Amino acid sequence: MTEQVSAHKDPVVIAFANEVLDGFSDVCRSLRYATFLTDDGFEVASIAGDEKQNRRVASMASSMQALGDAVAKDLRIGGAEYIIIAAETGYVIQMRVPEHAMVLAAHFDAAETVGKALSVVRLAASNMRTLVRDKAA
Amino acid sequence: MAEHVILFAGPMGAGKTTAIESLSEIETIRTEATNTDRETADKDTTTVALDYGEITVSDEDKVRLYGVPGQRRFNFMWTILKERAVGLILLVNNDAADPIEELDAFLEEFGELHEKGGIVVCVTRSDVAPTPYLDKYAERIREVMPGRMIPVFTADARNADQMRTALMSLIANIEMTAMIAGNQERAA
Ligand SMILES: Nc1nc2c(ncn2[C@@H]2O[C@H](COP(=O)(O)OP(=O)(O)OP(=O)(O)O)[C@@H](O)[C@H]2O)c(=O)[nH]1
Ligand SMILES: [Mg+2]
Repeated sequence: MTEQVSAHKDPVVIAFANEVLDGFSDVCRSLRYATFLTDDGFEVASIAGDEKQNRRVASMASSMQALGDAVAKDLRIGGAEYIIIAAETGYVIQMRVPEHAMVLAAHFDAAETVGKALSVVRLAASNMRTLVRDKAA
Repeated sequence: MAEHVILFAGPMGAGKTTAIESLSEIETIRTEATNTDRETADKDTTTVALDYGEITVSDEDKVRLYGVPGQRRFNFMWTILKERAVGLILLVNNDAADPIEELDAFLEEFGELHEKGGIVVCVTRSDVAPTPYLDKYAERIREVMPGRMIPVFTADARNADQMRTALMSLIANIEMTAMIAGNQERAA
């Protein structure tokens, strides 16, 4: 068995995450901020934001994700697919990278429609999955 | 007696999630994530938001049990949950790198709960690491919170009876605090 390196310490995964995030900000101008994090709240990679802020967002997003999963589990409606926080001047969408213990959290300004933002987040999460899966293969 | 909210705090791997699981009469709410920090605690999962359970004590008093994440980067959850609580069970695993320092750090963060109701310290995993002995904990508590009554127990978080003993001792403290506050109000 190969040694399992956690995502936030794995240079290859970090490089993938940066690659996906770069493409992400290209397709979506209203994106203010985005970060990949491990399920237990360690920052893997981010665009924009200072270091301290990124770490804090990673912890909070991990708590949010887990609370979302806990609510969905309690209501027996399956796993939480994504979480949206709508605020006055923008919103945050977060989504698990399918099949991985990793989450993408992204902050958009209010100019974007939720539908568009959701679809680019889904695309970025799915791109991340493909990269990590192909690496494992 | 009102519904009490009791907080379980302490370092990663101390047994907060386990203790609430042992005590709760309802299916607990958990927020476990895959643990990638195996150096601090060698276990599969870690709490990233909160644990929740409920227990009825003395007839029909319901006690709500909240566990916090042990890792400091989740300390925004500490702030949120501290607001609601009237008492603290501080769990410290005796096999931590420096358990007395952990005790100190968590008393600093959560010590204010003594004034709100009470604090009880439970030293866990003393079967894994027999030292430091309880007197070291008691000594440090006297240093950082002089003149306060804060009992220290050894307890196994997996053992419901032991955790219940600690909880009942905390509830007795909370009720005494409430009684004294009531008397002072009447006297004023
Ligand atoms: N041997 C031994 N094991 C114990 C004792 N108390 C708890 N444990 C074990 O120690 C581990 C504690 O893990 P958790 O309950 O997840 O710890 P936690 O405090 O919730 O940790 P975080 O949520 O990561 O901060 C579990 O595997 C328990 O079974 C004890 O007194 N002796
Ligand atoms: Mg826990």
